Amino acid sequence: MVQSGAGRSEPGASRGPGRTLTGVVFSLAGAVILGLAAASPARAQSGGVVACRNCHANRYFLTGKAATLQADSALYVPDSILHDSKHAGLNCTSCHPAFASGYPHRDESVVAVPCQSCHQKEGEDWARSIHAVDAVTRGNAPTCVTCHGSHHVLGRDDPRSPTYPLNVAGTCGNCHANPRIIGTYFGGADQAQARTAVANYYKTVHGTAMTKAGLIVSATCSDCHSAHDILPPDSAQSTINRANIARTCGKCHAGVLATFDSSSHGRALLSGAKTPTGHSAPVCIDCHVAHQLVSASDPVWFRGVVQECGSCHEQEYKTYFETYHGQVTELGFGLTAKCSDCHTAHDMLPASNPRSTVNSANLVKTCSQCHPLANANFVEYQPHGDPRNHKEFPRLFWTWLFMTSLLVGIFLFFGSHTLLWLARITVDRLRGDGGPKADGAAPGSPDGGSKEEAP
Amino acid sequence: MRKPLAVSDQGQGPYLRRFGPVEQTIHALVIVSFLGLVATGIPLRFAYAPWAAPFMRFLGGPGSAGFIHRLCATITFGYFFIHLGTVTRNLIRAEDKRSIFWGPRSMVPQPKDIKDVIGMFKWFLGLGPHPRFDRFSYMEKFDYWGVFWGVAIIGGSGLLLWFPTFFAKFLPGWIFNVATIVHGDEALLALGFIFTIHFFNVHLRPEKFPIDLVIFTGRAREEYFEEEHPLEYERNREGGGLVALQVPAPSRTAYLWSLALGFAALTVGVFLVLLVIYALVS
Repeated sequence: MVQSGAGRSEPGASRGPGRTLTGVVFSLAGAVILGLAAASPARAQSGGVVACRNCHANRYFLTGKAATLQADSALYVPDSILHDSKHAGLNCTSCHPAFASGYPHRDESVVAVPCQSCHQKEGEDWARSIHAVDAVTRGNAPTCVTCHGSHHVLGRDDPRSPTYPLNVAGTCGNCHANPRIIGTYFGGADQAQARTAVANYYKTVHGTAMTKAGLIVSATCSDCHSAHDILPPDSAQSTINRANIARTCGKCHAGVLATFDSSSHGRALLSGAKTPTGHSAPVCIDCHVAHQLVSASDPVWFRGVVQECGSCHEQEYKTYFETYHGQVTELGFGLTAKCSDCHTAHDMLPASNPRSTVNSANLVKTCSQCHPLANANFVEYQPHGDPRNHKEFPRLFWTWLFMTSLLVGIFLFFGSHTLLWLARITVDRLRGDGGPKADGAAPGSPDGGSKEEAP
Repeated sequence: MRKPLAVSDQGQGPYLRRFGPVEQTIHALVIVSFLGLVATGIPLRFAYAPWAAPFMRFLGGPGSAGFIHRLCATITFGYFFIHLGTVTRNLIRAEDKRSIFWGPRSMVPQPKDIKDVIGMFKWFLGLGPHPRFDRFSYMEKFDYWGVFWGVAIIGGSGLLLWFPTFFAKFLPGWIFNVATIVHGDEALLALGFIFTIHFFNVHLRPEKFPIDLVIFTGRAREEYFEEEHPLEYERNREGGGLVALQVPAPSRTAYLWSLALGFAALTVGVFLVLLVIYALVS
């Protein structure tokens, strides 16, 4: 990346003398430093900084030293960048040892030492990540400096840092909200989600907590995906792998995690149990869709969750919508009970479990949340009663059968009555007959001539 | 020979009284409350239909719809008890108390009604003469008893669902499941019947199209009376009762109000039943 001035001596003859002069000064200084460095490491540190800044803090001197204007700027490292950096205590040669020999720079093959020479853990994590894989195979994935910057390295508690919680989504978004980059790295079905992930994040409760309330303890990209060992969800070690999701969310939502772990779903997840249809137990993101997290009072959310429950609990889902509870929910109003209001959101347990909110011993309490005067009779109501299930709900079945027969019978009878009537009138009219009373006033009918007698 | 009876209160008199002010008022209350009940009930029953959610929002949400539904239910209970009171009053005043519950002028189904049903089907098929109806045809009796038992059953089950914790003090919980089925299905029967069969029988069949205003003005042209209820007409004519029934033609105001309420009710009813049919078919 860094090009030496000497390697590019062709341009601008007018610049030649100046550069030569400075070069001499620089190499002299370098020689002095080198000598001092050999004598005393401590003095070499302070001396090194002074020496490097002679050139690298001089914007005018650096112009034209590198291949591009941008690369020129990268060489420009004034004190204003360095003084409040996390690395302010280091000297240039700590990261750039190859340049310790001074100017002209002799060995430019290694610009800087890898960050992991100090930041070992972070380096190892990164090396395992999908970013590292892509960096090797495709050459353009982020390395340390992409997110942390190079010289102006700030701690994640510094509001100016790209890794400060309020800035993380923007930092990740530099690439992940860039359609061209996303198009390169994500294929097919993943691409649509990847394309919208950052934009959607800003609309979630996590995102709005950050942007509206400035709540830096809210979750940002790195809280769920981790900062360094970012792995795709199909990797077993990934923080967003289904098996690990509950623990990832539980880092913050610790109370929910504890409850979830003891619920039917949590225990099924830990044991790896699956439904007869091959479903594994739901994890956080099945209901709280990752990049579309909205408040639980939002109709979009609660209808989605009921649907999510219904994707396994099909029978309960169907019967729910035949009750007032379900009908109001289906219309998009949050007035009535939804799955979680009776079964709880995270602590769902089978009715046979004495701890369950739908255990017969707890039903009065559960129903009382909305029906304060509920008693033992009241809670006999079957919120998932199925009139078509003759075996389990005979009363409902017979009621349903009676009502359905009544409706079918009456509509068949009167439907044919009406249609035949209409047909008869139509036929009469087509024949040019006067109408029904043409027959009604047939001979023998007592009022055959009543019209004339009308008063 | 029968002439078209469109807007049957129009045309030449003389007019005869067919319904009294109490009956007219009750029918108007039935219209208003029933339309309100149906409009606020069907978005729930057919919550899955695409029109249901926008319709419910138009009604102001389930809280507001529930309030309207219960208000209309209260009106329904009101007219139901007014009617029971009227029947009791008539019973006390009547010289021949038996005639209220039995006989040609009674609302109670008679053996003749069964003959009339058969006769009507024969006439439909060209196999016999048009039956001659008395004071109430079997269709009118069915309408009446439909509303009577409808109010009792839908109203009763509705009360259960309105005050579940009260009724749970002495009734088992499954009654609310049964009440839900009965309430919804009986209401579906009621709205389906009223908005198609009743509308056709009374208002939309070609002889009466587009509307029959007799229940609104309370009076019918003599010609209409004679043709729709010949036996009642003849009994009055022979007994000299026609004079007592004679009334002036409805005033222009009464006529216009009747027309407005009648057409509004027909339009809303047909609209609501179309929504229901759409939901059932789709």
